[in-house]
Amino acid sequence: MKNKLRLLHMYPGVLDLYGDSGNVEALKYRCAKRGIALEVNAHELGDSSERLIENADIIYLGGGADYEQQQLADDLTSMKGAIAAAYERGAFLLMICGGYQLLGQYYKDSNGKRIPGLGLFDYYTAASDKTDRCIGNIVVETELDGEKYKVIGFENHGGQTYGVKTPFGRTLCGSGNTRGGEYEGFMESGKTNVLCTYLHGPLLSKNPKLTDYIIAKCAGAESLKKLDDSLEEKCRAVLLKRLLNE
Amino acid sequence: MKLYQMGLIALGKALNALCRLSGHDAGNFPGLVLWSIDKNYLKCFSVDCPIIAVTGTNGKTSVTNYLSRIFSMSGKKIITNSQGNNLDTGIGSLLLKSCDMRGRVHADYLILEVDESHVPQVFKHLKLDTLVSLDFFRDQLDRNGEVETLILKVQNFLKNNVNNNVLNADDPNVVRLCPKGKNAHYFSVEKYDGATDELYEAGEGKFCPFCAHRLEYDYYQYSHIGRFKCPNCGYGDVDPEVQITSLDFENNKFKINGETFSSKFMGIYHLYNLAAVYTTAKLYDIDSKYIKKAFATFAVNNGRMELFRLNGAELMLNLAKNPVGANMTLRLLNREKGEKELLFVLNDNVADGLDVSWIWDINFSVFNNVTKVVTSGTRAYDIALRIKYSGFDEGKIKPIPDLNKAAAEILSTPGKKFAIANYTAVQPTRRALKAQIQRGERK
Repeated sequence: MKNKLRLLHMYPGVLDLYGDSGNVEALKYRCAKRGIALEVNAHELGDSSERLIENADIIYLGGGADYEQQQLADDLTSMKGAIAAAYERGAFLLMICGGYQLLGQYYKDSNGKRIPGLGLFDYYTAASDKTDRCIGNIVVETELDGEKYKVIGFENHGGQTYGVKTPFGRTLCGSGNTRGGEYEGFMESGKTNVLCTYLHGPLLSKNPKLTDYIIAKCAGAESLKKLDDSLEEKCRAVLLKRLLNE
Repeated sequence: MKLYQMGLIALGKALNALCRLSGHDAGNFPGLVLWSIDKNYLKCFSVDCPIIAVTGTNGKTSVTNYLSRIFSMSGKKIITNSQGNNLDTGIGSLLLKSCDMRGRVHADYLILEVDESHVPQVFKHLKLDTLVSLDFFRDQLDRNGEVETLILKVQNFLKNNVNNNVLNADDPNVVRLCPKGKNAHYFSVEKYDGATDELYEAGEGKFCPFCAHRLEYDYYQYSHIGRFKCPNCGYGDVDPEVQITSLDFENNKFKINGETFSSKFMGIYHLYNLAAVYTTAKLYDIDSKYIKKAFATFAVNNGRMELFRLNGAELMLNLAKNPVGANMTLRLLNREKGEKELLFVLNDNVADGLDVSWIWDINFSVFNNVTKVVTSGTRAYDIALRIKYSGFDEGKIKPIPDLNKAAAEILSTPGKKFAIANYTAVQPTRRALKAQIQRGERK
């Protein structure tokens, strides 16, 4: 098992809405409790980060405002080869909201203009009417190493993502990829090193099993030392009761 | 047309009277009814005096209250929504209460707090004399949308619709509303000892709104408030008309244009509020002696730096609707040298914004001598988790969703306490604290 992991946080200075930096905090915290040091590096607009991408165990992109997302699209596509290579060698891609959209074929904005994505995966995203954003609490049932797990978060996106054949999970409450849809996010079948989702919250704050799943995959660990998650479990119980009447 | 307008006014007044008779505070209700009949109902009113409006993400209620107090002290007749009914419908309800049967409103000044997203809507129909713009931060993203959209909305509206702009010189989101011109009146506060070289808390407006170049800062006072400039086009190079200087945090004193003032509170964001108040009052030639007195003695309370005491426990409650608001209370907490406790009440009702992920933008990395954290509200566990993941010992975190029990817990021991409550949590928190104090004093 690796005792050191490197996370590359893409554009933390630009894409920092919705508390997504909390995902890094959650990973760092739960790594540290297992004696794993998490080194966090940043790629900002215009940096040359080939080495950082090459060495990364986790590549992370959060969500941001539309304006900022447009600004970085060119910068990101210039690194397409490096990111694809990192993915091939097994680096974990954790992509939230804007990050999720940018990895697909393209994003079509409300004027019909296509902003090209990285094209790593087949899906694509189209803006819906301004009045038709998917906003609210969301619960997604996914499967982690064969075990069902309910992932709790918050979604806030105007884009509707189509053409996903292997979603992250089934939507139990909320919308997911499309308004009122049945499925949320993207995971590639046969691969365990990518997770694309619309879930903020931040995603990893209330879903410790998912956080540990990512850490275990990256560290090459069969299992991780159990932590005291009583606070997390209480938080989950309150929300699942409220959202799903469980 | 005239008849129709008088009809609307009469209906509104009747609703007001009905509410009063049945013993209810009318609140937004009469305005809401008129609004549902006619979205442009505000045009029924005619106001014969200058209107001063205060907008921005944080500080509206405080600045409006200070201005109202100072203008009243100087003998002016003012009409104000000091309780914070700051939407279109709240302002309509206020005017209904104050107008005659023909919709005429008589006063020396109208001093209105206005929600930043409602500025164009309200002042399409009422002539705005001065707009005081305090700051624009991320706030309730699921309700208000992105900050950029909001600023553009206000910016477009202001082009032809205001005589004076009072503007925070240190917020790039505000300066852009009126970057030049003789109707711009800038205020600022000198660099204080808590200022940082790097951005310490989540901030907005990293890029120049005119040329998209990255902005440069000499220093950050808090969040993205600080001395900024665009190295490419020079945006931000403004000359403040009013600057608070000679900050003395030991004795609660500072200077404006060589004159010494004392203040009940010295939080950095509060000083920016006072600078806005001073600039606005001076614009209307209000005598400094009234300003001085208000700064030294007046407190808004109502969950804004409000003090509660019980058996040696001293608690300061502060409303926080967004990360910047919470960070400001944490700055006060960290300035306090001894041990202290924190109560954080977090709700996720519609008026709060349903999305509580903003709590992860609060900077808990410095948390000096905090011995206990009590969390409460509908999202008591979310805020507990957030504080746990910042590295604070989870054994010292007590989530107590029941607010009365949480208030009892935080006031159970003597010492310094701080409390943060978000929008819908702040009034219930005040009630719970007051009830606990009454119980405690009876014992």
